[in-house]
Amino acid sequence: MSNQQTRRVVVTGTGVVSSLGIGTDKFWSAIKNHECGIEDAKTYNTEDLQIKIAGEVKDFDPKEEGLTKQFLMADRYSQFAGIAAREAVKQSGMEMPLSPEDGMRAAAIIGSGVGGINTLEDSYRGLFELKKRATHPLTLLKTIGSSGPAHISIEYGIKGPCFGVVSACSTATHSIGLVYNMIKSGMVDFGLGGAAEASLAWGTTRAWQGMRVLSPVGLYPFSKHRNGTVLAEGAGILMLEEYEHAKERGANILAEVKGFGMTADAADMVNPDIDGTAGAMDLALKDADLSPSDIDYINAHGTATVVNDINETRSIKRVFGNSAKDTPISSTKSMHGHALGAGGGIEAVACLKAMEDNYLPATVGFDEPGDECDLDYIPNEGRSSEVNYTMSNSFAFGGLNAVLVFGPSPA
Amino acid sequence: MEDVAQKIIDILKKNMKEPPETIPMETPLSELDIESLDLAVIVFDIEDTFGIEIPYNANEEVEDFKTVGSVVDKVKELVAANG
Repeated sequence: MSNQQTRRVVVTGTGVVSSLGIGTDKFWSAIKNHECGIEDAKTYNTEDLQIKIAGEVKDFDPKEEGLTKQFLMADRYSQFAGIAAREAVKQSGMEMPLSPEDGMRAAAIIGSGVGGINTLEDSYRGLFELKKRATHPLTLLKTIGSSGPAHISIEYGIKGPCFGVVSACSTATHSIGLVYNMIKSGMVDFGLGGAAEASLAWGTTRAWQGMRVLSPVGLYPFSKHRNGTVLAEGAGILMLEEYEHAKERGANILAEVKGFGMTADAADMVNPDIDGTAGAMDLALKDADLSPSDIDYINAHGTATVVNDINETRSIKRVFGNSAKDTPISSTKSMHGHALGAGGGIEAVACLKAMEDNYLPATVGFDEPGDECDLDYIPNEGRSSEVNYTMSNSFAFGGLNAVLVFGPSPA
Repeated sequence: MEDVAQKIIDILKKNMKEPPETIPMETPLSELDIESLDLAVIVFDIEDTFGIEIPYNANEEVEDFKTVGSVVDKVKELVAANG
């Protein structure tokens, strides 16, 4: 084990489940084709809902995905987590399941905004509406927001830190940041970090409708015609590893995690505060020891609500100063939708692929710049461009902010 | 239908920290001491009271939500449409 001061953290695997497809390759080729995964929702009845669109994972059949029995018995959210984790593990080339000794040096921090809420909704419908006498015996285990990481730890023999993080739309970014810091500090040598979300349902859409922040037509970040966000589901998980550990086993290193910053606004449940959001970006850059002008691409939180997009634009201007105008920014949510807790994980993968491919993903559905939205949002068409350093922003309800910075593989 | 106006004013007052004695119909919503989240709660309260659904989106500025009077008119229209 190398010295704590010099421990560097690299990414050796990625896994994605999204409305644009299952698997990083499918996801990325859809992004490059400017596809949009937002459609009329099919997995729940939208007849009496005002909001009828969502970014659903299409034609999802857990059996066809070849999941093991424990995942087949789990909630859809855990299944998404299982699929994304399996892809990240496979790509890392790490031998799994781990020996008990290696297992103690590994982490699985897999969060979710609301865990198995679909299971809960179904069971409550059974109890309250259908007057069933009991719920399915696995209801509790399927519902708890730590079932995803628990199943993953069982699947791969991960015996170190293993739990779920909850911070609404910043969940995945916080989770990845925690694993990064655990590796950096010497607590573990490698681990899975990210999140999964599967909260699309009649009841939760009702709850979201009540917030009055959803668009009935589409997710158009930073754009004049934007009128709210669109809910989506999926998972985004990274395999992080201490650099020497990865090098020793001859792993294919995808990128380095350069920095992580997190803050809380301590202000308001829904209105973001520039000090908090800009502060998290600032801390991530400091941790990475980079200047704003080093960043070649920002994957914005970009939810397409009026307030987020203006606040995020102002925050980028405050942190990036003169280089703000020259820094390409996009919200890939315009294509995969707002996958809530999982969003930051999916978007971290978008950053990593942007670096691998030297390609800047677009913000699709862009008509003209919204008021106060005057930066380069890569409107409608992605671009080929050298991408060495990227930043991924996640800003959640409650004012909980998390930002990651990625860079090229060390040497 | 006049009690529609009174009920809506009561709902507004209930959701304000320091409600004024009177709220004239021409008062712009932006001049009331309410924030975006309060407005979502107020709209819910109105929907619940009158058994209607109001297609309000916090991301859009619409005529129906300009003044207290325009909200009252919109609610009357929706109540009438409900039969």
